[in-house]
Amino acid sequence: MLIVSAVFLVAVPWLVPAVADRFWVNVMAEILIWSLLASSVNLLFGYVGLLSFGQALFFGFGMYGVAIGVEKLGLGFWPALGLGVAAPVAMAFVAGIFAVRLTWHYFAIITVVFSLIFYFLALTLKPLTGGDDGISFTLPPAFRFGGAEFGFASETFQYLFILATVALCLYAMRRLLASPLGKAFMAIRDNDVRASLIGLNVYWLRLAAFVMAGFLAGLSGALFAFFGRYASASYMFYHVSGEAVVWTIVGGAGTLLGPLVGTSLFILVREVVSTHWQHHALIVGAVAILIVIYAPRGMVGLWRDLLERWSGGEK
Amino acid sequence: MNEAAKPPILRIDGLTKHFGGLTAVDGVTLEFAPGRLHAVIGPNGAGKTTLFNLISGFLPSDEGRVFFAGQEITRLAPHKISRLGISRTLQVKSVFNQLSVADNLWITAQAKRGVWNPFRRTASYRESCEKVERVLEQLDLTALADRQAGTLSHGDIALLEIGMAIAAEPKLLLLDEPICGMSPAETARTVTKIRELAQTIDIVLIEHDMEVVFEIADDITVMAQGAILACGSPKEIAADERVREAYLGRPEDEDYVEEAVRA
Repeated sequence: MLIVSAVFLVAVPWLVPAVADRFWVNVMAEILIWSLLASSVNLLFGYVGLLSFGQALFFGFGMYGVAIGVEKLGLGFWPALGLGVAAPVAMAFVAGIFAVRLTWHYFAIITVVFSLIFYFLALTLKPLTGGDDGISFTLPPAFRFGGAEFGFASETFQYLFILATVALCLYAMRRLLASPLGKAFMAIRDNDVRASLIGLNVYWLRLAAFVMAGFLAGLSGALFAFFGRYASASYMFYHVSGEAVVWTIVGGAGTLLGPLVGTSLFILVREVVSTHWQHHALIVGAVAILIVIYAPRGMVGLWRDLLERWSGGEK
Repeated sequence: MNEAAKPPILRIDGLTKHFGGLTAVDGVTLEFAPGRLHAVIGPNGAGKTTLFNLISGFLPSDEGRVFFAGQEITRLAPHKISRLGISRTLQVKSVFNQLSVADNLWITAQAKRGVWNPFRRTASYRESCEKVERVLEQLDLTALADRQAGTLSHGDIALLEIGMAIAAEPKLLLLDEPICGMSPAETARTVTKIRELAQTIDIVLIEHDMEVVFEIADDITVMAQGAILACGSPKEIAADERVREAYLGRPEDEDYVEEAVRA
């Protein structure tokens, strides 16, 4: 199942145009990018027990890092990507110092507050951020071999670059979950009181997770800036954070691939339905409610339960 | 260190904690000698658990000082006290529900050795993994190693909690009502384990089951209304008139104190 999916994902740029419009390659690329944002929610909520409604802040910092890097500072592809990751990581560290002192709804609220502050700041700081209009930029190439240039100008390169980045992040996360740090995160998620009683420094561990999640969200935003060739404050609004939370919970919080599954479902529904019917958000809401009630571990959890039942039935 | 052959493992000096108008722990001064199994008893609301919370850094004390093996630990953060070598269990059983039994023990064993490596696999930490195997065997939990901790029976969770307390390799173990809510068979099993542990680790336990306390404790401290009422061997305590009056002889007093505290 996993191998088939992996082969399919790599083959998308050649397979999809053969059977459908090329436009779907870009939809797949977009799904992959947003799944990284959902993964950042998942790392915090699914593995450390902190529900953040502010991950869009770091997504926005990633976008602006790239756009400002390219357009205002004249950076190339890689330095701009670096800035698009460093800025959100630094922001996550600063915001985290305050945010991870709190838990549950207090934590959720402070993450919303942080993202709102910077959303309005981005709207006001017109010379730097372009305000409402955002910043558009010309795409720099990623590699040069002799005379040939490779970059996001090629949809195939763009898709494969994004796929490789997302795959690398998911692999790193998988390693993390099997490491001492990952176990410490999960211990804190399950029982933070007990975690401190066995000698774990809950505050620093939560801060580390928050910065890592900031990295994932920031990288996602940086990729999205290259993908759309622009940055805009509207992507820092908490509406975006909220969507990532819904995708994660529907896909399965606390599972590695849940965010990718949830993001795929919602973006595909949006793309398919929105051309025929304006109110696709209704479907999204209905699915989210059904999943939360009937499959609290999301679609991946549901899938695992089914597998268990089938294999159990065979015995 | 002057007269005694060995310094006390835990010395508490004038420890006080107020909750609003209520003084939960009122100027408690105590010494726990090493190498003995101590029990703290007293009616509900006597301040036993609060005393544990103050020792383990879970609550900040208002006055007084705590010394662990000669080192002052007053008002240190819980994770620092834990790393110095005090483990405790909680009255309401608490483990890491979604982790496996083995992972519960592993993270506890590894916690003070460092958990910051994000890439090395947990299975490659030999010291902690061996510790997990030993504790699993010691507590007869090997068969349950891969079970999610949250799915265990009450008695097995209590055992796992004790296992986690041992996995941390403490010098001092604080057990808060370790056999509360257990069946007679589970109680017998747990009491045996506690006795075995007491051979190598200093233990202080809070317990309501008098039969158990008088059976296993070397020293008993009786608390009532936040203060120390009496200290001594089980024989001395059983013979103490004040203890009889306040606690053992007149069970209706227990309800009276409970009501007074809740009010």
